[in-house]
Amino acid sequence: MEFLKSLSNNYYYLVAIILFVIGMHTMLTHANLIKKVIAMNIMDASVFLLFVAVGYVRGGAAPVIEASANRVYVNPLPGALMLTGIVVGISVTAYALSLVTKIFRYYGTVDADEIVEIRSQEQ
Amino acid sequence: MMVEHFPVLIIVLPLAGAFLMPLLARRQVKLCWPALLLILVLVLGMAVTLLWRLDSSGPYFYHLGGWPPPWGIELQVDFLRVYLLLVVLGLGLWIAVYAWRDLEHELKPELIGWYCALYALLIGSMAGIALTNDLFNLFVFMEICAIASCAVITIKETRECLEAGFKYLILSAMGTGCYLLAVALIYMVTGHLNFALVREALPEAAALYPNNVLAAAALIIVAFAVKAALFPLHVWLPDAHAAAPSPSSAVLSGVVIKIYAFALLILFYRVLPGSLLSAVPLNEVILWLSVLGIVFGSIFAMVQEDLKKMLAYSSIAQIGYVFLGIGLANRTALVGALYHLLNHGIMKALLFMAAGNIIHAAGLRRIKSLSGIGPKMPLTMLPFAVAGASMIGIPGTGGLIGKWFLALGALETGRLLIVIIIIAGSLLNAIYYLPIIINAYLNPLSEGVSFKPVPRLMTASLLAGAAAVIFFGVFSKPVVLLLERAVTGFF
Repeated sequence: MEFLKSLSNNYYYLVAIILFVIGMHTMLTHANLIKKVIAMNIMDASVFLLFVAVGYVRGGAAPVIEASANRVYVNPLPGALMLTGIVVGISVTAYALSLVTKIFRYYGTVDADEIVEIRSQEQ
Repeated sequence: MMVEHFPVLIIVLPLAGAFLMPLLARRQVKLCWPALLLILVLVLGMAVTLLWRLDSSGPYFYHLGGWPPPWGIELQVDFLRVYLLLVVLGLGLWIAVYAWRDLEHELKPELIGWYCALYALLIGSMAGIALTNDLFNLFVFMEICAIASCAVITIKETRECLEAGFKYLILSAMGTGCYLLAVALIYMVTGHLNFALVREALPEAAALYPNNVLAAAALIIVAFAVKAALFPLHVWLPDAHAAAPSPSSAVLSGVVIKIYAFALLILFYRVLPGSLLSAVPLNEVILWLSVLGIVFGSIFAMVQEDLKKMLAYSSIAQIGYVFLGIGLANRTALVGALYHLLNHGIMKALLFMAAGNIIHAAGLRRIKSLSGIGPKMPLTMLPFAVAGASMIGIPGTGGLIGKWFLALGALETGRLLIVIIIIAGSLLNAIYYLPIIINAYLNPLSEGVSFKPVPRLMTASLLAGAAAVIFFGVFSKPVVLLLERAVTGFF
C-alpha cells in the first residue's frame, strides 16, 4: 500500500521510466531504421521529462526573481540542462536520419532485415 | 596570465578550429591539414606546459567563466587528467600526420576539409572528457565525441561504412541515454552535478535512497561498457573500426574507446562513494566482464579473415586489460591499466596504420593474402612486427610493462586466477599475431600482386610509432612514476 501511494505521488517518474524502456527496447529490436531513430528520441525525451520533473516545485513560479515578491520558485537548472540535452538530441537525430537516407539510396529499403537479405543474396 | 587559461583553451581551440575549418576548406583546401596540425601542436604544447606547472605548483581547479561550483562548470587539472590529455593529444597529432598523406588517396578531395573539421572536433571533445569535472558537461562531450567518431567512419559513404556508422550511432545513443538517466537519478538525490560535491553528498543520499544510487551505478556501467566496447556490449566495434578509413580506425581504436574507459574510472573512484563500491560488488562485475572480453575478443580475432576486422576484435581483448585494472581496485593494477592504455593506443594505431599502408600499396585486406610481403614492404612490416610483438608482450616492448603491473596488482590482491588469465591472454594474442608476421616474412609472395609506392610521410610515422613502442618498453620509469602520483588518493 505504501509503495502504491508513493508511486501515485511520483507517477511522472514511472512514466519516464516506462518511456525509457519502450524507447530502448524499440531501438535495439525494431528492424525499421527510421523507427530506431524515433525510438532514440523517445528514450531521450523520457530522460528530459524526468529531469524537468525533478526540478519542478509544486506551486512554484517561473524562476524570475523579483525582490518584492516572496514566493517559491521552480529549480531552473534542470530546465537549462535539458535545453542543452534537446539540442544534442536534435543533432544526433539529424545525423542519424541523414545516414538512413544514404542507406536507403544504396538498398532501396530502410528495413534492417531486408538489407541483410539483400547482402546475403549478393554473396 | 595566459597560462591560467590553458585548460579551457585546450578544449576550445580544437572546437573553434573545427568550426572554422570548412571556411578554410572553401578558400584554400591545401591549408586545412597544416592548420589542423598547427592546432594539435599548440594544444599539445599547452598540455606539456600544464604538466610542467603541475610538477611545481600542484593540482588545481579551473572555473569556467570565473563561476565557482556549484553554479559553474569546473575543469580539474591533476596528474591523471593531464596524463590522459597527453595521451589523447600526442596520439592525435601522430595519427593526423599519417592521415594527411593517407586520406589524399582514400577520400574525395572535397571531403578533406570536412575530415579535418571532424578530426579537430573529435580531439577537442576527448580533451573535454579528460578534463571535465562535471557530470552533465561530460554528457555533452560524450555526445560530441560520438557524433564526430561516427562521422569519421561514415565519411567515405560506402555501404559498409554507412551501416557500421549507423549501428555505432544507435548503440552509442543507447549508452549516452543510459548515462543521462544515471545523471538524472544522481541529481535527484544529491542536487549537484560537480564530481566533488556529488561525492560528498552521495553517502548520505545512498543511505536514504539506495535504489536511486544503485540504479545510477548500474546505468553508468552499462553506458560506458557500450561506449568502450566492454564484452558483451562490443557488437558495434568490429564493423565500425574495420569499415572506417585507416586513420579513423587508428584514432577510434587507439584513443576513443580508451577515453570512455578512463571516464568510467573517474566516475568509479572520484564520484561513487567507496562504501557503495564495497556494499555491491560492482568491481567484480567489471573484473569478470573484462576477463571474458580478454578471452573472447582474442578467440573472435583468431577466426577473422579480414586484417582490419582482426585488429578490431583484438581491441576488444585489449580494452579488457584496461577494465581489468579498474576492476581489480588496486594501485599497482591501476598503474598497469593506465600504462597499457597509452601503449595499446600506440600499438593499435600503429597496426591500423600498417594495415592502411598495405591496403594503399597492394590493396590487400585478407590475412591469407599477406604472405611474402615482408621483404617487399620492409618499412611497413617491421613496425607491424614490433607492434605485434608488443601486443604479445615480448620483453623490450611497451606491451609487457602494462601487463606486468596488472599481474603484480592481481598478485597483491591475491587473485592467482587473474594472473593466469593475463598470461593466457598474451598467449592468445601470440596465436593470431605471430602467424601473420611469419607468413609475411617466410612464405613466398602470392602471384599477381603489384606494389604502389607509399608516401614517405606515412612510412615515417609508422617508424616513429615503432620507436615509441620500444621506447616505452625500455624507459618506462618516468611514466610509471607519473602514474603512481596520478593514482594517489584513489584507494
